Amino acid sequence: MNGVSTPALEIRDLVKRYPTGTEALRGVGLRIEDGEFFGLLGPNGAGKSTLIHCTTGLAMPTSGSIEVFGHDAVDHYEEARLAVGLAPQELNLDWFLTLEESLDYHAGYFGMPKRERRERTAELLDAFSLSSKKDDRTRTLSGGMKRRLILARALMHRPRLLILDEPTAGVDVELRLELWQYVQRINAEGTTILLTTHYLEEAEQLCDRIAFIGDGQIVAEGTSTELAAAYGVTSLEDAYLELVGRKELSRAKIADVADVAS
Amino acid sequence: MTGRQIRFLTLVRREVNRFFKIKRQTLGAPLLETFLYISVFGAALGSRIRELEGFDYIVFIVPGLIMMAWATNAFANNSSSILQQKFQRSIDDQLSSPASPLELLVALSLGGFLRGMIVASLTFIAASLLVDLPVDQVLVLIPSLFLVGFFFASLGVLVGVRAEQFDDVSFAQTFVLQPLIFLGGVFYSATLLPEPFETLTLFNPVYYMISLVRYGFLGVSDANVGLSLGLLALATAVLFTLNLRLFMRGYKLRA
Repeated sequence: MNGVSTPALEIRDLVKRYPTGTEALRGVGLRIEDGEFFGLLGPNGAGKSTLIHCTTGLAMPTSGSIEVFGHDAVDHYEEARLAVGLAPQELNLDWFLTLEESLDYHAGYFGMPKRERRERTAELLDAFSLSSKKDDRTRTLSGGMKRRLILARALMHRPRLLILDEPTAGVDVELRLELWQYVQRINAEGTTILLTTHYLEEAEQLCDRIAFIGDGQIVAEGTSTELAAAYGVTSLEDAYLELVGRKELSRAKIADVADVAS
Repeated sequence: MTGRQIRFLTLVRREVNRFFKIKRQTLGAPLLETFLYISVFGAALGSRIRELEGFDYIVFIVPGLIMMAWATNAFANNSSSILQQKFQRSIDDQLSSPASPLELLVALSLGGFLRGMIVASLTFIAASLLVDLPVDQVLVLIPSLFLVGFFFASLGVLVGVRAEQFDDVSFAQTFVLQPLIFLGGVFYSATLLPEPFETLTLFNPVYYMISLVRYGFLGVSDANVGLSLGLLALATAVLFTLNLRLFMRGYKLRA
């Protein structure tokens, strides 16, 4: 990684206030380097999805700036969005479309020519074991298959920054491992990845660096070892429990209590 | 073809594909409905009314039916397509793409416009087979129909964007659009109405649209053609500008 290269994502003093008055992001600052595998962890409602939505144009920032590979995500959204692929938390597929159409239309929105769309669609349907279902409508898919299709869709236009918003929520073990292997491979090939997840072991195993977000602010950032050290604990899980104020749930402490009791 | 052109065509293709996938509902049902109007009003009522403004009753009502087919289909398509995509959140795939608000708006508007055009064209062809339908003022007819189509397509976009539930769309269609169209003179001439209804009709914008289209086909009109065309163009431009502002703000589309 080159410290002076343009970062994949640079967020400065980002504020998002909803019309209801709720301040979901309160001056977020974040820098993700090109090629990094970055994890964003935090409890529900901490601002993870809002941050992602502001980056991808699904939410309008109130103030602050977001740059994707040096392109302002608001003023120069076309270049910024071309560089981003989003696999959202919701299974937001169009029920009317087949799997093949879902991928083809997405690539079309990103200006890919027909021949390239066709080849890339076949490649990704194959990579995610969906080829046999290509003519089925998306509503007929199982939850796991929908999750695969959403990831394939996010990859269609070969984004340089892939944002995965809880990609393994509710999927079975084998699919989770498959997804891990796939994203690790594309990260090794140069794709920057921003991952949000509630599975701490997932973040620990996959991510180069991790940020904790709480109450709309980045509260800590570093490798999992650095985060544990920052909170004076020995694991990422314990550091996270410190963040959410539930350190009594620490497995280490429960084990200590059990040892004393026995 | 540039990336921008591919993007725009894909956005339009998606809208057209949507209504073709459910063509029994989006194309078949409106055609049947128009046939029923022609049968019931034209054949049954026409045998008693005979002539209106020098034309067979059935010939008199067909221009209004063609306009109504374009208007209601353009509106219904866009309002339900947008609400459905908002409901599924599948619209996020388009909103997070590099498409500009203008590209999104025009593509979504064109979806309904094209569906209305197909139904209106099929209605025209079918009616031409059944009755001797003149096309007297083609230079008024074509811009009038295009403006009517685009006006209602834009209205459908507005209602779809504002709607939060399917009831909002059906309310607009059943309680606003249908009464305005039916009371705008599709099936009668406003001059036949007793007061105060004749005067009240003058406040219904759809009355001028029907008059324009009828003038295009039959060469007769209750209203001032030039003024009606100008006002329709102005209303369409205002509505489109309003939609564009809403799309640029991300109103009820982006958080």
